[in-house]
Amino acid sequence: MIFVTAVCFYLAAAAFVLAAVVALGHAVADRSAWLPVARGLIVGGVVLVVLQIALRTAQWQALPFTTLNDSLSLFTAMGAAVTVLVTRHPRMRTVLCFYAPALAAMAIVNAALGHGFLAEAPRPLSGAFLVVHVGLAILAYALFLVASMTSVAYVFQVRHLKRRTFSTLMQNLPSLERLDATLFRLIGVGYPLFVITLVLGVIWAWFDRELLGEWWFLSPKIALSVVMVVFYAISFNGRMMGWLRGRKLAYFVFCGFTTLLITYIVMGVLDLRDYNFWGGAS
Amino acid sequence: MTLLVVGLSHRTCPVALRERLHFPPERLPEALAVLQRRLPNCALSILSTCNRVELYAHDPARDIDEVAAHLRAFLAEWHGVSEEFFAEALYDRRGPECIGHLFRVASSVDSMVVGEGQIVGQVHDAFLAAQTAQTTDKVMSSLFQRAFAVSKKVHTQTRIGEGKVSVGSVAVDLAVSIFMNLAGKTVLVVGSGKMGSVTLKNLKEHGVGRILLTNRSPEKAAALASEHGAQSIPYEELRARLHEADIVITSTGSPEPILGKEDFHEALKHRGQSPMFVIDIAIPRDVAQDANDLDDLYLYDIDGLQEVTEANLALRRKAVGQALEIIDAGVAQFVRWQQSLVAEPTIVSMSAELNAIRERELEKTLRALPDLSDEQREEIAYLSKRIVNNILQRPMSQLKQEVADHEAPHTVLHLVKRLFGLKEIT
Repeated sequence: MIFVTAVCFYLAAAAFVLAAVVALGHAVADRSAWLPVARGLIVGGVVLVVLQIALRTAQWQALPFTTLNDSLSLFTAMGAAVTVLVTRHPRMRTVLCFYAPALAAMAIVNAALGHGFLAEAPRPLSGAFLVVHVGLAILAYALFLVASMTSVAYVFQVRHLKRRTFSTLMQNLPSLERLDATLFRLIGVGYPLFVITLVLGVIWAWFDRELLGEWWFLSPKIALSVVMVVFYAISFNGRMMGWLRGRKLAYFVFCGFTTLLITYIVMGVLDLRDYNFWGGAS
Repeated sequence: MTLLVVGLSHRTCPVALRERLHFPPERLPEALAVLQRRLPNCALSILSTCNRVELYAHDPARDIDEVAAHLRAFLAEWHGVSEEFFAEALYDRRGPECIGHLFRVASSVDSMVVGEGQIVGQVHDAFLAAQTAQTTDKVMSSLFQRAFAVSKKVHTQTRIGEGKVSVGSVAVDLAVSIFMNLAGKTVLVVGSGKMGSVTLKNLKEHGVGRILLTNRSPEKAAALASEHGAQSIPYEELRARLHEADIVITSTGSPEPILGKEDFHEALKHRGQSPMFVIDIAIPRDVAQDANDLDDLYLYDIDGLQEVTEANLALRRKAVGQALEIIDAGVAQFVRWQQSLVAEPTIVSMSAELNAIRERELEKTLRALPDLSDEQREEIAYLSKRIVNNILQRPMSQLKQEVADHEAPHTVLHLVKRLFGLKEIT
């Protein structure tokens, strides 16, 4: 079982990397026929990750959300699924040149961490409440990943229009208005989801204080999550009220995602994600 | 068997010479008739556009140099000039080079503005004129049909026709890069410059919603507004109503900028930072250049638009390599088909020989069976035809293929003739 799961794990990573190569190939060689291929590879990657999660769940009788690899796998799959949804409109396909490399980077980081985790039983989440909390958080992160890449595409397009430097990629990208609308839609779903996640997390932490310690809310992960939510709160509310849009909105969304990366990956690698950072837990 | 084109184009001569040798469309039938009298039984076509004058010919019977000489002499006689007048500008392409040339012309690879869409229509008109004048043959018709197919393939499989190359249409492209949909957008036209009108016309064709027009002279503004179906606003209200416009086109004769960064800053604030696209076609410019520093404002002056047309042309030129690959494949395919035609007389002869045998044997059989009804006789005759056709089908298609692929097709044909005891056909 572990061997088959490992095959799915590495094949999914290969599919995402190949999708990035094909999408970037389109950006260079201007072959629009390649974009559906890249999108197809991303769909294939999602299917493989879902299979990997299903196999792991079946093997250990627990949802595999807790290890860094597991959550990265789920994050990449959800990001890929959001990408597939966003690029269903043909005008949006070219943005795959931005989405696919980000997904590939996630897959490479995950693969670089190795597949040793497949032999370990995932720590079971204590109850459906926590499953919803973690699941929603990862979905919100996936939406933020795609939003941040949309903001990169937006800034890319603005720079070319301002500097009057023209490339095939720039000419194939959707309009600034469409990118801006997509960006708003993504944070419009991601931000409320993340707020719900935080609220659920706070409720759980309140009832489970013995496990997390007294100072859980001062842990680096929570502190950075609050910084992140501030970025997305400003982005979402500013855009909704009409005083933040375009390039500035793109920068805010990207900064929010950078905070997420630090919170999620860097702290994970450095093992600083513990809520009991300042001690006090039983 | 060889195809030939004799002609001159924008690549080999200036417009003055092309003008002198131009064939107006209404005189094409007459020109073709005169040329046909010079070269009876020769397939002919004349392609005459503002960028080229070309005479195409296909004559399996005559020496190709003789045909070329006739075409040159006709060109000189028809236009009342000596051959020396255009000798240096004239090109003469034969066989595969002629085929490739027409394919490049029809695909607009050889056009002055690479990728333009007009030329294929002009080639089509030239072919229609030749068809009407009955100066085409099987090879000439196939050549043109294949040229249209190759042109279509080039335009659908490469980006040779993409990216606008006129200032007006580039403005539309840029607007589409900024706005999701032009319908519902408001255009404000300031001034009455000709380029401004051209740009507005292009934007109107793409369905912009509302057009506001203003001019220092209210009469001019009213006249232009009625011409474009626009709403005229007083010039004094320009700044106050600037925020209403998604796209601003300025083309006044003002010696100083009429709109500054502050004006657009205010307008953008009023619009909730919704983007604005400003096309300043005036010389001297109407909009202060530092306005482009504002976020969400995209300012293009005439040089900026020219830069885009240049960039688009460069992209089209980039597609030429891909187009040439398609053209080369088309030429190879056409040459193969043309070569396979060599087998046709042998095939006809083979068919005639086998059918003669069939008829002879059929007659003998029917004579030996006098009691058969007419219906039965017809059935037997039909059976014999079916047998012969089935026997011939495979060798015929195989022979065409062998002849097309073989370096020395006559060796193959000679062998077949010997095998079937066919007479030598010239």
